[in-house]
Amino acid sequence: MKRNIVLVLLSAAFMFISTIPAMSQARAKKKAMRDMEAFRYEIECVGTGVQGTYLIKVWTYSKKPKVAIEQSKKNAVHGVIFKGFAGGGRGCTSQKPLASSPDVEDQFSEFFDKFFADGGDYYKYVSLSNDGSIDSEDRLKVGKEYKIGVVVSVMKDALRKDLENAGIIKPLDAGF
Amino acid sequence: MKRILSLILVIGILMSGAFGQAKKPTLMVVPSDNWCKDHGFMMKFNNQGSSEELPDYKKALQGSSDLILVIAKVSELMANRGFPCKLLEQELKKLSEESAEDAMLTSKSGAGVAENPIDKLKKSAKADIILQITWSVNVTGPKRSVTFVLQGIDAYTGKQVASASGTGAPSFSAELPVLLEEAVLAHIDNFNNQLQAHFDDMFANGREIIVRLKKFDSWDGDFESEYGGKELGQVIEEWFQNNAVKGRFNTTDATENMMLFEQVRIPIYDENGKAMDARAFCRKLQNFLKNPPYNLPSKLMMKGLGQATIVVGEK
Repeated sequence: MKRNIVLVLLSAAFMFISTIPAMSQARAKKKAMRDMEAFRYEIECVGTGVQGTYLIKVWTYSKKPKVAIEQSKKNAVHGVIFKGFAGGGRGCTSQKPLASSPDVEDQFSEFFDKFFADGGDYYKYVSLSNDGSIDSEDRLKVGKEYKIGVVVSVMKDALRKDLENAGIIKPLDAGF
Repeated sequence: MKRILSLILVIGILMSGAFGQAKKPTLMVVPSDNWCKDHGFMMKFNNQGSSEELPDYKKALQGSSDLILVIAKVSELMANRGFPCKLLEQELKKLSEESAEDAMLTSKSGAGVAENPIDKLKKSAKADIILQITWSVNVTGPKRSVTFVLQGIDAYTGKQVASASGTGAPSFSAELPVLLEEAVLAHIDNFNNQLQAHFDDMFANGREIIVRLKKFDSWDGDFESEYGGKELGQVIEEWFQNNAVKGRFNTTDATENMMLFEQVRIPIYDENGKAMDARAFCRKLQNFLKNPPYNLPSKLMMKGLGQATIVVGEK
């Protein structure tokens, strides 16, 4: 009897310990989402992408580098829609965001909640370059968290077209 | 009940037809005079004794494949955004075909096509917004880069409505067409953002046009003739005040023989919901002058969506 109780307690403890990393991962994911909503990420231009795409580097903050890499895809699409990015060297040109104002996110919150959810449609418009491998200089430790720079390609023409069709942004020929 | 519903449906369809869409401006990509001069695509002509140089577009299109590439790329990207561009090359071909056909066209009785000097003068490749392109190649040692300028110019007001410019990344190996393609891709979105702002302004504050008023010398009156104690010029200005969007217009020039109104903001739609352009707007002024107490016949000529001239005195 005593032995059975010890076994049950041990397995319960094991189950609890095994869920800790998953729980902390989930917490990190949630935090990364909050960061994205607060525009707490940085985007820089890497070069002129192929036609219909932007080639950008997204700097994402997270305690878990793995979460940061995954979150950088969302941040890239979010940034292209709401933030835009500066030009600079390498022949890069500054680009304005697709949305005319950041308020669009609040106006269409239902649409964007679904769009940026895990497995949401944002995934269709973004791909990691270099299979997501991160250069050592793009993995920075800032205080207690990491700042990870990931190069991604965002299919901005397809994204714009779909946002226009959804009535989120105005097409250039609206009214004509 | 079914009849009422179908009646409502028919009225709805008719209404939607009546409330048409705004007149869409036409776009055409053209090399700048600067680029043509740099590449030797100019023609000289004698303008009443003084020698002038003008860009020779036909020669440029026949002589530069880079130009064709840039025009094709800009046109492709604009078409993706719902604005297919008129092609300069095709417009020039159309013009020469049209004049050849007009020269040969006769009726059964042997009559030719009527054409006055103004008709002849108006035969040129035109669009409402000219997309003017300029580029230059910068060479630093073995590296080359391209400085690219794209300007959107309203053909009537002469104002720049959008522009994008910049210098691409220097490259050791990339060929010029590749650098040019990159430049177009890098700048087209910024250009379109500004074009969007121009259209937004147009829908909010009306289309900007230019109106000229002149008089035929056969008419014994002028713009200083008085009607009910007011000079005709003053009456016309009051008409603009009442009919322009928010009363916005500038009287740039006014003499007894001519008046020039710039920055005239006209409504996008008339009171019946139909799309309006400079011609439709000036037709109203023409009718206003035709009616008592003025009883002035006039001739109305237009140039695209944004410029019209009324010559008062006769048709």
